[in-house]
Amino acid sequence: MRALFDWLDHRTGFRTLRHHLFDEPLPPGTAWAFTLGSLLLFGLTLQVVTGTLLALFYAPTPDHAWDSVRYITTTVRGGHFLRGLHHWGASLVVVTAVLHLIRVVFFGSYRAPRELNWIVGLVLLHVILAFGLTGYLLPWDQRAYWATVVTINLSKLTPVVGEFLADLLRGGPDIGALTLTRWYAVHVLVLPPLLFGLIGLHLYLMRRHGISGPIRPRDGVPETFFPYQAARDLTTAVVVGVLLAALAWQGAPALEPPADPTSSDYVPRPEWYFLGLFQLLKYFPGRWEIVGAIVIPGAVMTLLALLPWIDRARSRGLRERRWLLTAFAAGIAGVATLTMLGARDRPAASGGGWNVREQAGAVLLRGDTCATCHRADGVVPAIDPARVSRPRDWVAAHLIDPEMIAPGLRAAPASDQHDMEAMLAALAWGRAGDPLPAVDADGQVAVLFNRHCLRCHVVGPVGGTEGPKLSDVGARLDETALIRQITTPREVKSDGEMPSFADKLSATEIAALAHWLASGRSTAFAAAGRGGSE
Amino acid sequence: MAGLAAAVAVPRRRETLRRWRPAASMFDLPPTGPFVATLTERHADGWYETRKQTVVFLDKDGDEYRALSATCTHLGCRVAWQPADGHYKCPCHGGVFGRNGEVLSGPPPRPLVRLPVRLNPDTAALEVEL
Repeated sequence: MRALFDWLDHRTGFRTLRHHLFDEPLPPGTAWAFTLGSLLLFGLTLQVVTGTLLALFYAPTPDHAWDSVRYITTTVRGGHFLRGLHHWGASLVVVTAVLHLIRVVFFGSYRAPRELNWIVGLVLLHVILAFGLTGYLLPWDQRAYWATVVTINLSKLTPVVGEFLADLLRGGPDIGALTLTRWYAVHVLVLPPLLFGLIGLHLYLMRRHGISGPIRPRDGVPETFFPYQAARDLTTAVVVGVLLAALAWQGAPALEPPADPTSSDYVPRPEWYFLGLFQLLKYFPGRWEIVGAIVIPGAVMTLLALLPWIDRARSRGLRERRWLLTAFAAGIAGVATLTMLGARDRPAASGGGWNVREQAGAVLLRGDTCATCHRADGVVPAIDPARVSRPRDWVAAHLIDPEMIAPGLRAAPASDQHDMEAMLAALAWGRAGDPLPAVDADGQVAVLFNRHCLRCHVVGPVGGTEGPKLSDVGARLDETALIRQITTPREVKSDGEMPSFADKLSATEIAALAHWLASGRSTAFAAAGRGGSE
Repeated sequence: MAGLAAAVAVPRRRETLRRWRPAASMFDLPPTGPFVATLTERHADGWYETRKQTVVFLDKDGDEYRALSATCTHLGCRVAWQPADGHYKCPCHGGVFGRNGEVLSGPPPRPLVRLPVRLNPDTAALEVEL
């Protein structure tokens, strides 16, 4: 065996390498604070592995990206966990990188002769943030799309080259297919070699000058990296790894509906580590916006890069660097405060239930007309919103035009524009993950309400504004009053514009509508409303 | 190699053709607030053929009509009409625009972009130049 290793060593020199890696002499007192670099390396390795696995299933095109991510989450074995690991791993990397930076500043490790390594570290931090930014677009859901709109518009503010930069990032006249392929290529082909090269340089420079060690050098014999520091590194990685796995077990945040450039009720928010910057932008109105977007972040980064030369103290001692450290701590506190303020400014919780229009659409989708063809043993599969991949206007035509669905079929699933809008809304909301609700009496009333009332009246987050809001009408009127209002509105209010529905709806239907409104069931939809109301 | 990368990766700018497009019927406009019109057209997005959708707010302005782009002039988010407050609000950084599109508060540097709009007397359609 020894002869084999001797032979191998002669050819490869692996013993020298092992000695170089494992027997690195560390200054006495090197301790847990110095495990952050290794932890970062662990996090980045995890991102490379999980990212490669995700790439086995991901398709970077606008018509497939969202579906492929949904497929990863719902169908691929372990996909839910995998995507969770990649998502939370990204946060871990950012947190660890910032903690590493804070450690380096407080220990004075950036000082001569390690200035260059400090700069390389700062560049690495930017590469990590670029990974976060480019990766964010890839799921192609609402969150991804709108965060990218903001990012690209921000890049326009860069002096002189702003428009050029925005063109380069967008890859075409609008954010679309060419943007997605471009960001994917940067995420998986451009940034990784850059990352590996910079990590190599960072480690080379670290070994060249050795670890800075504790702030006050201690007497004693240097200890070797292996097994002492290696054991600490491994412990940190295992503890954090277990925490990460626990988080990832819950999965990544659910996909939002697919990117929709026309949606007006979507409230975009960036990933948490950009929330500080997001909040900063709010304080600089009009032509001052460049201050929040470019000047302040640029100045902070320039100051950080020049830190080794700004620091004129004679030693690494905390007391001798107290002004500099106070300013740095104030900066960190500022970023933390902005991030917290940004996080508190959350939109009304998304999620929630089906609004009245979507509920009506769901009932119609489950109706007999659709079931003529869409059923378990039918000519086409049963309707599953999650599997609809046709564009919206194709589906709209399919719903309202019987000849398009099947020549000879005379009954269109949507009897009018309102039905069609409702069914499209139900498909869009159902696509985001909620199963279609069961058809009950309330659902049937929702269909009536959507067809006849929603154009003028608001219930919850939807509806027209011409008539009064009906979300809480049950508190003002009882069933009898409501029936009278629906059948003979001119008797209630002679100059009102509401037409009578006595000839459009049967007495049973009117009674059901009045019961539904009076019983406050409609307010359930108001409570379940998403977005829109702030 | 840098030249090749630059030649391929830097997108070419193409001027898009502006023309009048029907946005809504004049009868669609409610008296209480602006009408949200979504204009859809075929659009080549690289190899991918898609439908580009543009959102426009149509409103009465005295005897005239007014069309405002729904894109916030700050960072490009989609502003929404707030019927209760009678103004447009951007959900991203809180910019607020008046019914004329003028900036009322928040970070937007410019009013909402006003688009040329005309009434087609033959079809009663409001047409917007995009």
